[in-house]
Amino acid sequence: MSAVSVENVHTHDEHAHGEHHELGFIRKYIFSEDHKIIAKQYLISGIVWAVLGGLLSVIFRLQLGFPDMDMTWLKPLLGDWINESGKLDPNFYLALVTMHGTIMVFFVLTAGLSGTFSNFLIPLQIGARDMASGFMNMLSYWFFFASSVIMFISLFLKTGPAGGSWVIYPPLSALKEANPGSGDGMTLWLVAMALFIVSSLLGGINYVTTVINLRTKGMSMDKLPLTIWAFTFTAILGILSFPVLLSAALLLIFDRSFGTSFFLSDIYINGQALPNQGGSPILFQHLFWFLGHPEVYIVILPALGLTSEIIATNSRKPIFGYKAMIFSMAGIMFLAFIVWAHHMFVTGMNPFLGSVFMLLTLIIAVPSAVKGFNYITTLWKGNIIFTPAMLFAIGLVSFFVSGGLTGIILGNSALDIQLHDTYFVVAHFHLVMGSAAFFGMIAGVYHWFPKMYGKMMNSTLGYIHFWITFAGVYFVFFPMHYIGIAGFPRRYYQWSGFDTFSSYADLNAIITIAAILTFLAQGIFIFNFVYSIFKGKKATENPWKSNTLEWTTPVEPIHGNWPGEIPTVYRWPYDYSKPGASDDFIPQNVPFSATPESNLPEETELIKSEKEIEGIKFDTSIHD
Amino acid sequence: MTIVIAILAIVFVILTFMVVSKTLSIIKGIKDTGSEENEGYLGKPNKYNDANGLALLIFWILSLAGVFWSYFSARENFLPESSSIHGRQTDFWFWVSMGVITTAFVLVNSVLFFFAYKYRYSKDRKVSFYTHNNNLEIIWTSVPAIVMAGLVFSGLRVWTKVTADAPQDAEVIEIMGKQFAWAVRYPGVDDNQLGGYNFKLMDDANGNPMGVDFADEKSFDDFSNASEMHIPKGKPVLLKIRARDVLHSVFIPHMRVKMDAVPGMTTKFWFVADKSTNDMRKELGKENFNYEIACTEICGRSHFGMKLLLVVDEPAEYEKWKRSQKTLLAENPKLLELVPANLKAKAQKYLPVEEAPVEESVADASLSNSSKVLK
Amino acid sequence: MKELTLQEPKPILTVNKWKFIIWLFIVTIIMFFAAFTSAYLVRRAEGNWTDFQIPVIFWYSTAVLVVSSVFMHLSYLAAKKDEFLKLRTFISLTFGFGLLFLVMQYLGWLDLQSQGIFLKGNPSGSFYYVLTGLHGFHLVTGLVVLLYAFLAARKMAVHSKNMTQIEVCATYWHFLDILWVYLFLFLLFFR
Repeated sequence: MSAVSVENVHTHDEHAHGEHHELGFIRKYIFSEDHKIIAKQYLISGIVWAVLGGLLSVIFRLQLGFPDMDMTWLKPLLGDWINESGKLDPNFYLALVTMHGTIMVFFVLTAGLSGTFSNFLIPLQIGARDMASGFMNMLSYWFFFASSVIMFISLFLKTGPAGGSWVIYPPLSALKEANPGSGDGMTLWLVAMALFIVSSLLGGINYVTTVINLRTKGMSMDKLPLTIWAFTFTAILGILSFPVLLSAALLLIFDRSFGTSFFLSDIYINGQALPNQGGSPILFQHLFWFLGHPEVYIVILPALGLTSEIIATNSRKPIFGYKAMIFSMAGIMFLAFIVWAHHMFVTGMNPFLGSVFMLLTLIIAVPSAVKGFNYITTLWKGNIIFTPAMLFAIGLVSFFVSGGLTGIILGNSALDIQLHDTYFVVAHFHLVMGSAAFFGMIAGVYHWFPKMYGKMMNSTLGYIHFWITFAGVYFVFFPMHYIGIAGFPRRYYQWSGFDTFSSYADLNAIITIAAILTFLAQGIFIFNFVYSIFKGKKATENPWKSNTLEWTTPVEPIHGNWPGEIPTVYRWPYDYSKPGASDDFIPQNVPFSATPESNLPEETELIKSEKEIEGIKFDTSIHD
Repeated sequence: MTIVIAILAIVFVILTFMVVSKTLSIIKGIKDTGSEENEGYLGKPNKYNDANGLALLIFWILSLAGVFWSYFSARENFLPESSSIHGRQTDFWFWVSMGVITTAFVLVNSVLFFFAYKYRYSKDRKVSFYTHNNNLEIIWTSVPAIVMAGLVFSGLRVWTKVTADAPQDAEVIEIMGKQFAWAVRYPGVDDNQLGGYNFKLMDDANGNPMGVDFADEKSFDDFSNASEMHIPKGKPVLLKIRARDVLHSVFIPHMRVKMDAVPGMTTKFWFVADKSTNDMRKELGKENFNYEIACTEICGRSHFGMKLLLVVDEPAEYEKWKRSQKTLLAENPKLLELVPANLKAKAQKYLPVEEAPVEESVADASLSNSSKVLK
Repeated sequence: MKELTLQEPKPILTVNKWKFIIWLFIVTIIMFFAAFTSAYLVRRAEGNWTDFQIPVIFWYSTAVLVVSSVFMHLSYLAAKKDEFLKLRTFISLTFGFGLLFLVMQYLGWLDLQSQGIFLKGNPSGSFYYVLTGLHGFHLVTGLVVLLYAFLAARKMAVHSKNMTQIEVCATYWHFLDILWVYLFLFLLFFR
């Protein structure tokens, strides 16, 4: 037994030692286990990827808007992908579309959004020193980084990156005879995605564990900010759906490299019949969309969470329907798993299944609508301060509503027959999850920048950025509905071969111009971001007069987040403009006993239990 | 529309110029002092607060105007004139749904932007501490739910009808997607039944790209036409859809037909075209109108080029056209090798025999007839 | 809800975070295999499915894995009672039986090949190899976790006051055992 106690002391010693030791540059900023640094790593990687993903879309938009353009001037950038006559190679066009989708969905809006803000805000808002496992968290980022590097390398392959669109349906993605991108490019895509999935799972497991286990005193589940609820639901979605994508990817790898026939059957290509028999391409689609659909909620839920917080803070008003918001997010999360086949109405799936999925799909519109209404009612009789973050949050609500509504048409299997895989779909999801989630991410950056870097971002530049982007996004995606209603299929290099799709050349040109300008306007943001990190005005501890716990941490971020004891939480996070209170906000760590003038009757009751909350002892025997 | 582009381009250029100059001045401003009122922090709104609120409202009003103007100016190309019976039903429900969502779009966004404008910061406003209202939640849960239920119900009815089994007398036509063209096979005039196929028999070099199985005597009278697909007007047509290399998807925009073509699995879609190509030419006033078939599942380099012309004939014309077509065996006598010995005699009938010239000339005549009609 | 949480405020952290993490990890593995087995069922329902004899050795390997689980539990009990020699012996035995299981799985594969069932070919066989192979891969990770536990036991870092590591290890090992039993029964019944 004596050995035991010595051992115990020893580990404690080490622990204490670790906390006070100044870490070297590499451990502090590169292989860091601090959630704030990891969040910034995710953010900056996300921004880099967003620029790249946006650039790819500008190139293919040029092709679509100006199909006759001489693109020789792009030769220095794209090399042989521009042929002698100055035309973009159609295979490379497909590669561009594929990489734009992959990068935006996974690398920007999953890693860049969820990775940044889940990491940054979960410990800060629930009152924890760090994530449950800093090591796993670091691992999560570096798996993502490795995945990024591989995906990036694939852009420079001679045969080009993967070109079968981001949904990588086999057989196209399985046969390198079918498309040059299905060769090495696809191999790298699969490897990168496998690493990405590992990264997401490590992150997601960490987020959920942290929220469940590491909340500070008094932070019961009904006092969690909606951001945390959103991140938790997102992480659960990821934990349950990413493994399924991994299994689909693995089976695809087997088909590609080991000659199995899970997804391949009866194929004749390049003048010969392949030996594969008995596989089912539809099976892949089921597996893929079982992740693929939750994935869109993985993208949008964190954005909605951030928006809830920003809208409440800047309306100086409690978020309307806190519980309804939680229930609707829970509903969305649950339904997200049972609607996947609405992506497959016209794949030859059993029509009865189609009806079932149509029913479930349209149900999911209800909780989404509830969220929209709650945001709007939060604005009602508020006192709105238009910070750039607030403007982006309002923009998000508008996109979420406008883009979500067209989902009602696409979710209807009978109407989907005509609109499936047309630009109507492109317009729909770019508004509802693409732009909305992007706006959520940008809003989050503007709002939490003072906490991340201790500096303020310039708000005038923020306004300019907002207005160009907001108008630009509508200019790009609204006309796409028209093009879709006219039947234009997506992933087309050009439409001029068809009489039916010969109209709207001008509309496509407008979209391209708007897209380029919107893309360029992001330069304002990047300038503002970088400039403010170094030269921005020093922030105060709580610049937006916000209630949540992160605003009680010092301006200069420190390891362990709070210099002294972690604050105790007594109230919900939305006590804005409470009648009777002297100021228009009461942070979560202010006890009811300190605010007798504004307490509601039931809250006066709660004063009695405050002592008990303060008396909570944590089980400290579990070390890292 | 070109004028609009020009105006837009000018507007954007001016906007860019303004942004650049403004940015420059702000950078200067930051360097100078970083003046206090420039920043919206410390819970106080900055000097642009009213402007932003107003701008949101104006943006929305302008957008509404833009939405309606653009809708009416772009409308002529929406949902190309439907030529199938189920197509008109789906179109009807499409526009009903569009009506519903456009109403919701206008209402919800109007409220959003109006509130943003109306409740912009004012020193004297008394903010309402309004945390929740269960009745409101119930209302705005149930109203969308009821509307959804109505749409689901209507959608289900149409969907069930569209995906129901094809009528017995439907004209069965096989269409196969390959990189990057469509191949169509008709059941032939003698037995009106498609023969079997097997992907192992596919052979581009020897003229059997669809892998037709000539051990099956039903295949003998099957024929194919590479340049265009014909279907009869007013008669149910059942497409049996397959693919031989990667996924494709048959999309006939005017017929509201779309169904994936999957290697190793036959899918189907049936419909009734009730306007012939000529009817449509008259109706649209376009002399050279043609129905087209496109591919809507990404399939590789020339995905955008998988076009096949579709001709809808009057039933009599269609029959005539069918009889004028040469069978697969006649097109390519080498295929006789695939016919088992015991059936060779039967297959002989479909080969170009000595007196073929006569037959062929007849066929040519009727073919040119039908194409004259088309012209 | 507010009232409820406040009435019972005493101990907050009852769940050990590492145990929570391992359970979430197990959830991901469950989803992973659930995807495979449901794909298996969907594909099987489409017909064109080759039937073959399941090698007898899989019955024995299943027994071996169950026995290894028993040893795992014994090592857990030993740790609880601070019986270090027993602890190390039982962990080693668990490890040994785990290895034996892997060898038997490999022999099973050889048997399958002698039946003419290869990874290439009808998906019924491919699924068999992929499922057993992936389980085998997870078992290798289980062996690594065991190895860590063994090293910790040698350093006397596993004892009745510090059970987290052995508990996590045991949870994972038992899970891999149950996972195999599930896969085995599944493959047996849905041939």
